Amino acid sequence: MSCQTLSQLQQSVPVPIDTGSDQKLKIVAFLCNWCSYAGADKAGANQLPVPAELSVIRVMCSGRVEPTLILEAFASGADGVMVLACHPGDCHYKQGNLQAACRAELLEKLLPQLGVDAQRFCFDYISAAEAEKFSRLTSGFCARLQVICKKQVAAKNIV
Amino acid sequence: MTAPTKTIVILCSCSGIISDRINWEKVQALLKNHPARPEFVVDELACGADNLEHLTKLLRGEKPDNLVVAACSPRDHEATFRKLLADAGVNPWQLQMVNLREQVAWVTADPQQATNKAARMIFAALNRVQHHKPLFERRQAIRTEVAVIGAGPAGMQAALTLARAGRKVALIEKEPFIGGLPVRFEELFPNLECGPCLLEPLMGDLLHGFESDLVQLHTLAEVIAVTGSFGNWNLTVRKNPRYINPDLCIGCMICAEVCPSKRNNRWNVDGEISAVDSPFAGALPNLPHIDSSFCLKLQGKDCNICQENCPVPDTIIFDDAASEFQLQAGAIIIASGADELQDKLPAFASGTEIHTAYSFERLLAMNGPTGGELLKKDGTPPASLAILHCAGSLDKENTPYCSATCCRAGIKYAHLAAARLPELTVTRLVREQVIPGVDAAVPFHNDHSHVVRYQGLPDLALQGSGNEQTIHCNSTGEQVAAEMVLLLRPIIPSQGTASIAELLELERDNAGFLSPLHPLADPCASSVKGIYLAGSCRGAADLRDAFASGTAAAGHALSALVEGRELVVDPQVASVNTSICAGCKTCLPLCPYKAISWNEQDNSAFVTDILCRGCGVCVAACPAGAISGQGFTREMLRAELKGVLS
Repeated sequence: MSCQTLSQLQQSVPVPIDTGSDQKLKIVAFLCNWCSYAGADKAGANQLPVPAELSVIRVMCSGRVEPTLILEAFASGADGVMVLACHPGDCHYKQGNLQAACRAELLEKLLPQLGVDAQRFCFDYISAAEAEKFSRLTSGFCARLQVICKKQVAAKNIV
Repeated sequence: MTAPTKTIVILCSCSGIISDRINWEKVQALLKNHPARPEFVVDELACGADNLEHLTKLLRGEKPDNLVVAACSPRDHEATFRKLLADAGVNPWQLQMVNLREQVAWVTADPQQATNKAARMIFAALNRVQHHKPLFERRQAIRTEVAVIGAGPAGMQAALTLARAGRKVALIEKEPFIGGLPVRFEELFPNLECGPCLLEPLMGDLLHGFESDLVQLHTLAEVIAVTGSFGNWNLTVRKNPRYINPDLCIGCMICAEVCPSKRNNRWNVDGEISAVDSPFAGALPNLPHIDSSFCLKLQGKDCNICQENCPVPDTIIFDDAASEFQLQAGAIIIASGADELQDKLPAFASGTEIHTAYSFERLLAMNGPTGGELLKKDGTPPASLAILHCAGSLDKENTPYCSATCCRAGIKYAHLAAARLPELTVTRLVREQVIPGVDAAVPFHNDHSHVVRYQGLPDLALQGSGNEQTIHCNSTGEQVAAEMVLLLRPIIPSQGTASIAELLELERDNAGFLSPLHPLADPCASSVKGIYLAGSCRGAADLRDAFASGTAAAGHALSALVEGRELVVDPQVASVNTSICAGCKTCLPLCPYKAISWNEQDNSAFVTDILCRGCGVCVAACPAGAISGQGFTREMLRAELKGVLS
């Protein structure tokens, strides 16, 4: 799945938070209560950087997030949407994360057909302990969106 | 639109941790145009005891419809502020927390950005709370009786633990006797304790002890249907006829002595018992039972010998019949056990004098087919015994897992066989040896059997017959004397475990054992609330595990069902709008807790709130949007989404 390659990719790329850009990104991240939200809390406790552009919406389980909600986020102006789940086998509700993973896989195929770059969507797994991964992943996603946005702005200018 | 709602926002400075990074004045300025027209209360440390008292008074006076608390993580203090609302006389579910400490102040270096983000998050929370509705915990009376399925060591231990706590227990056993497998084992690993002796006190207490009045034992009984849910299960039990009145029978077994009809004793594998008989000497309860397919009288023939010889009139009841009855319980403990794999025997098992662990246990038992003597079918002792470990286990094609108990049993068999017959040559053929535990060291180091390593069943061939019978190990060329062969077969879920799993639609692992809620943290609870697991229905396990898990399962039942305490159902659950439900049944298989069932009457899905844990997977999956997840409704999430994107 592309999101896994993304997290691998980010390991090698130190990404600073963009503070000076005029282009204010809007990123929505749906976090499950038990693992990824706890991981985000831990990032806070460890004072690791998380993009200011990121807005977290807490759900009890990543399996609660229906694809239409993600599409609505894009339609309402989100530049990027993340769904972060418990690792496979760690779901507090046994397999809600796997339902979320299946939906994410289909959604990634659907997004380009709707004219949304699939790179603007990220599904990944964050455990309650993975504060560092949360920081890295969100910062990396933010950086990726900035690149995509710049390209889109450039494309518009050419037109 | 009804009357405008009043929303209060508590801005908690967290002793400066939040307010050092976030400017409350700017936040309030940014939010002043929010349509909810919130009122702000800045608090230095909202979770402090004095502060909470002050806030309670304030909220009691202000009577807000909603409360937003911008403070720390809801994982820290959501419960604190729910209680604050309840204390102030406001429904505790009218709360939304905004996590400004962990997820804004601590992770955003720039105060300007942190302030903007805080305002955005509070804006979203203000949007969200407008959709909050008062939720109420439903309370329901629960039964405190417990049904225990299976009267092996685990089930007996669970039943007795419960009875000792004053609980009524229904103990349901499909066999005519209690004690499970180990009651038939002469000596147990590692200390060679006598199986029946170990279990006798437990069985005695269950049948005749101080608490026995609380235990309703049903032998020859099977659960055939279960309805209901946690706190209120309803079991249908089928009781097969014993043809003996247990209240009258004195257990003298004269009937068995005089009975002219014999049947194979399946509990001994070899040997015969009478049509009316007890499976083995010492089986409890001390009652015979009649196998109707062998009893001449019940087969319509002219025989009445047992009844004529029985010293107590009316004890033998030929017109006894199978019956069904209903049983109510608050919780169910499953202790239906495991068995050894019968089929898929290795090719060479067609030889003579082939035993499995169970038949060998019976052969060694004083109340077994030979009175405890190690003899071949012809009544003579064997000169050699080959014990074949992993006879099917650790085999990718057949039983991929280690059956966990057989190595210990193998060492025990080697020791017991050599003790019975000092001249016996004992060889253990092993692939791997698993002998964990401190107390296993003594039997392991005192094992004098010859040990041969083999590569897997295809590596072995049985050659010759009688006292010339050998096992040939192809990879090493070794020839193992094997006049008697003992196969340590894989341990699999028992038939009873398989059928109860099917009945209750319980989750099973690849081998068919019942899956616990969590393999490490919750090994004795199932994923269905109010159903607990004990003993080897959870996987191959020894007696130690049976007793421990029996106690643990009883502990679950005791803490879940407390006399006089009502069941409080969390209101944050899913519910189906039957007028929208299209009946596609998409949600039914998705619920990991079997909380969704099909209501034929309404032609719609139905959520049993007691079983629902509020994950919302069904809410997201419902194509019609007919399922609502309280506390995380579509409207709430969308309002929040619009808020963070505004």
